[in-house]
Amino acid sequence: MKPVRILALLLVIALSLLTSIQAQSGKEVTIAWPQEPGVLNPMYSPNTYTGYTISLFLASAWSYNSNLEPVPVLVTEIPSLDNGGISEDNTTFTLKLKEGLTWSDGDPLDSADFLFTYEMYTNSLNAPVSRAPYELMTSVEAPDALTVVVTFPEAYAPWLSMFGQILPEHVLRPVFDADGTLDTAEFNQAPTVSSGPYIFQEWNVGNFMRFTANPNYALGQPLIETMFVRFFGDDESYVNSLIANEIQLATFFDYSYVPRVEEAGIEVQVLPAGYNEGWYFNVGPDGHPALQDVNVRKAASLAFDRFAITEDLLNGATYPGSSFWEGTPFADPDLEAVPFDPAEANRLLDEAGWVDSNSDGTRDKDGVELVLRYVTNQRSIRLEIQPIVQQQLGDVGIGVELFSYPSDQFFAGYADGGPIATGQYDIAQWSTAPGGFPDPNTRAFMCAEIPSDEEPSGSNWTFFCDEELSALFEEQAATTDFNQRVEIFQEIDRRMYESYVWVSVWFDADTWSTREPLTNANVNGVSPFWDVQNWDVITE
Amino acid sequence: MTANTSESPRPVTLTHPSAQHPPRSQMNRVARRFLRHRLAVTGSVMLIAIMLYVTLGALIFTEAQANYNDTSRRLEAPSTQHPFGTDTIGRDILARTIYGGQISLLIGVFAVSVSVTVGVMVGVVSGYYGGWIDGLLMRFTEAMLCIPSLLLLLVISKFLGGRIPDVNFLGREFSGSVIVIIAIIGLTSWMYLARIVRASVLSLKQAEFIVAAEALGAPTRRVILAHILPNILAPVIVSATLGVAGAILSEAYISFLGLGVKPPTATWGNMLDGASRFIAEAPWLWLCPGVLILITVMSINFVGDGLRDALDPRSDNKV
Amino acid sequence: MFKYILRRALQAIPLLFFISFALFGLMQASGDPLATFGGRQPLQPDDRARLARQMGLDQPFLVQYLIWLTGDDWLRWDTDGDRLADHAIIVPLADLEGQPLPPGRRYGIIRGDFGASVQMRKPAIEVIGDKIGPTLLLMGTAQVVIVIVSLVIGILSAVRQYTWVDSLLTSFSFVMYSFPIFLIALLLMYLFAIKFREWGLPYFPISGMFDPRGGVTPQEIAWHMVLPVTSISLISIAGYSRYIRSTMLEVINSDYIRTARAKGLSERRTLMVHAFKNASLPLVTLIGLDIPFLLGGAVVTEQLFGWPGLGSQFINSINASDFPVLMTLLMMISVAVVIFQILTDITYTFLDPRIRY
Repeated sequence: MKPVRILALLLVIALSLLTSIQAQSGKEVTIAWPQEPGVLNPMYSPNTYTGYTISLFLASAWSYNSNLEPVPVLVTEIPSLDNGGISEDNTTFTLKLKEGLTWSDGDPLDSADFLFTYEMYTNSLNAPVSRAPYELMTSVEAPDALTVVVTFPEAYAPWLSMFGQILPEHVLRPVFDADGTLDTAEFNQAPTVSSGPYIFQEWNVGNFMRFTANPNYALGQPLIETMFVRFFGDDESYVNSLIANEIQLATFFDYSYVPRVEEAGIEVQVLPAGYNEGWYFNVGPDGHPALQDVNVRKAASLAFDRFAITEDLLNGATYPGSSFWEGTPFADPDLEAVPFDPAEANRLLDEAGWVDSNSDGTRDKDGVELVLRYVTNQRSIRLEIQPIVQQQLGDVGIGVELFSYPSDQFFAGYADGGPIATGQYDIAQWSTAPGGFPDPNTRAFMCAEIPSDEEPSGSNWTFFCDEELSALFEEQAATTDFNQRVEIFQEIDRRMYESYVWVSVWFDADTWSTREPLTNANVNGVSPFWDVQNWDVITE
Repeated sequence: MTANTSESPRPVTLTHPSAQHPPRSQMNRVARRFLRHRLAVTGSVMLIAIMLYVTLGALIFTEAQANYNDTSRRLEAPSTQHPFGTDTIGRDILARTIYGGQISLLIGVFAVSVSVTVGVMVGVVSGYYGGWIDGLLMRFTEAMLCIPSLLLLLVISKFLGGRIPDVNFLGREFSGSVIVIIAIIGLTSWMYLARIVRASVLSLKQAEFIVAAEALGAPTRRVILAHILPNILAPVIVSATLGVAGAILSEAYISFLGLGVKPPTATWGNMLDGASRFIAEAPWLWLCPGVLILITVMSINFVGDGLRDALDPRSDNKV
Repeated sequence: MFKYILRRALQAIPLLFFISFALFGLMQASGDPLATFGGRQPLQPDDRARLARQMGLDQPFLVQYLIWLTGDDWLRWDTDGDRLADHAIIVPLADLEGQPLPPGRRYGIIRGDFGASVQMRKPAIEVIGDKIGPTLLLMGTAQVVIVIVSLVIGILSAVRQYTWVDSLLTSFSFVMYSFPIFLIALLLMYLFAIKFREWGLPYFPISGMFDPRGGVTPQEIAWHMVLPVTSISLISIAGYSRYIRSTMLEVINSDYIRTARAKGLSERRTLMVHAFKNASLPLVTLIGLDIPFLLGGAVVTEQLFGWPGLGSQFINSINASDFPVLMTLLMMISVAVVIFQILTDITYTFLDPRIRY
């Protein structure tokens, strides 16, 4: 029976690998994400939940309230033209820091940390996920300990995306000097200081993280002493844990769970994070020739009953939108979602000359069959929608071939032969958001972004080119005046709507639920912990 | 001795490399022994029932009905109208289990054809020629065996996934992923058979009639086709039968993990994809295809076990 | 004996090279790790190009394999002490828009550096290390349960051959052996977690290893292990117990057991000492060859029960094309398979003195 003894030994070893934790005192709450964060350094954050988790212990210059308006955290006020924080030419931004800010270890938090953050993001010895917008800056200066002056070479409208989270110079500078990079810093897995509402305590990989309140937080010490963060691989157990009160906050669970959560007496909020699920039509050389005709694109959109999708599959938790900026002031309020109208679709296709001349059930023209490649990644809701689209478009005589790729193949770039980036599709569906949401800026529909062998990094995967639209995108990116920018965007929105190159399938806002005993948890879909210091726990 | 130990039979399969050379004249005895095997007969009856289900069922429902979706009737519990209920986009699960079953069985049979072809070829060549060819083929076999088969399946299905367009076969449209799945299951499951065949061939090579045939100058091809192959038929048949069950399970596992056959083609495996989201609300989603897989795999295992006992001359003194 | 071990070990080296090369090729071709890097949407194009260059993902396949194998500290280095590479062979030094590269910092797998996880930016070996404990705990426990239960079933049905006990156990084995693991797991979850809860009975948890608020106690973990261990055990017991039954039968029917009986040894003593000892030989082989595969975890079971082990990690990594982690895991299993094959052979010689190498 030797093997059994060996196994017993293995068990003991395995058990001892699990660290144990002591019981905590004080108010505590458990929140949970559908995915485990990868790393706890904002430079290397690979996903939304990592970003949320980091915002628990690293404060940013400013945050966003429930209306997604910027509110100061480390700065005294949000820079503007009126308060002199923004220069007349929209290129120079002056940040005034609050006095007496400290890290959780008592070290002062000042402009040197801002400079350090800028330096780390742009230093070629580090490999951060994104360098935007730091790489665009011409200079970052600190005239004194409480002032940071940032200069861009030209007017830069999405400036609010800078200084998301500030790195501690006094902790990380020595590490950088010793290792020559921050890529491998121990801080990335176990941060030792905090400037945010909570202090990192432990990370039991695969299971949970534990945070405790930071008395030195710029907005005051949080009322809840201990915050556990858990991770769930699948929605089923995630939602069950919420209902069973094992966790008090859950987000991003599938819309199909909304009724079950609500039946359990827990409110579900659907909060915008800038995302919209949409159809991208390939109007490039590798797309179906019929898609060059805007009326064919319109007909395909009219033939797809997106209202049934949101009503039945998504349990009415959301709706088909009309705009890439749905639910923001930048969307034209007069536009309405493309209706479901197969009769009109048939009429448009007949008019465009696509008729079923060989009676095979699929329309054709000049010997070309109207068969479109409909491509998605393998998220389960999209795989469910695939046969629905095939059936509904089939009803108006458009043949549909279904393709689905794992996400890492679907989103692969032009140089890697990604199916979307290289135009190997006719209709593609995925969900996307403006990169710096709530800022509306995007470059995905500009002529200059069309990928090619010379420009493999282009992000315009519809291959759509409208010079006037591109000019409008350039113009908004250099306009810091809110109202002026709204006007330009509404014009962009109208043009996009009429071009039928991108059509909203649904407004892809995130589900958020908090339950008692957690109260006063005022979250939003961009910075959920902007008000965490005021969250509380009802004690019986 | 060393060759033998490194080749220890795979633990969890029920195959035993001892079933060899049934004399042809004994075919009747084999049949009689099989029919006396109670589990084997039960298995055969169940298997025939499943075959009737997926073939006769297709006379009642058309494939268009199996693929017809209507989101307004999603997740309906079993009723007289939909005896097995409806799935997440309102398709009739009964009709889908019929057409899904066809594909699942098809995948099982074709995948095993691939693995038997490769396994027998590798085993015969390796065992018959020996030398460096044997060394090379057996090292390759060993390499394939070093990776847990499910992990290997997942890596390869990721590699091939999404690349093949729909295909038309016997007048029906299939997702191209069916071919991919057949290929990857077949190409990752031939190793044990190859070893069994090699061992049989090695022992056969010493047999007098082979030595005699070779001495009489029979061409190698003829020796292999006429003398060796018929004599290794028994382990191949047993292994192939059990292999079908294994292939159906493999298809279900990779589909369950989201890397299987793609819509709209139904298989018992991909009907389970995402069903775990509805463990409580819609148990019929996973219960119906799951139980069909169970019954099929079980009856094939019964038949395989019966065949082994029937083909194994030693089983006489056990009964 | 020693020569034999040495020969086997040397034979294994080209085998492992071949496996690593084939797997590396498969993974390079099966997905772009940077494609899902931005989380819910693609990375900004210029960031993507920069990261590909910084992580060496823009290199040709053979160069990437060479770096994975031998590291890149000898391919790109710094001579003037400014921490930026100024000399390079094989890999290009050429920069992207004036951004120089740091010197190579990787040592390659032959010097014990398994590379860093693309997603988590920490050594792949640490990613595996974080998950190996839960997997060993789950699979080890299951393996112990499987061996014990199948010994009982196997011996019982061999001793009581062709009685109703035997046929009952045999049928049970066959049914369980044919069960898809997810069907067992879903049925257990449905009954013992969901229905029991509805009926107000004590119910089992269905996700994770423990509830962090309760503290990480052995009882808590054991409670969470019940359903997954049961699922894994039920389907594997069949294979083992059938195997034990047939080897026991062979031994029982052999001459020396008849001799033992004839000598007048008690039936119990005959069975336990003689029959079992001889039947344990194939069992050792079986367990020995199975152990390395435990490292792969039970992919489906871990996934279903949210168990934070190597199986779930494998799925996460394969979805993200995080090939340093995948390669580390698969190579670790391959090496374990080779080692356990040799160990099994050695154990054999101890148990059966007739075998000599």
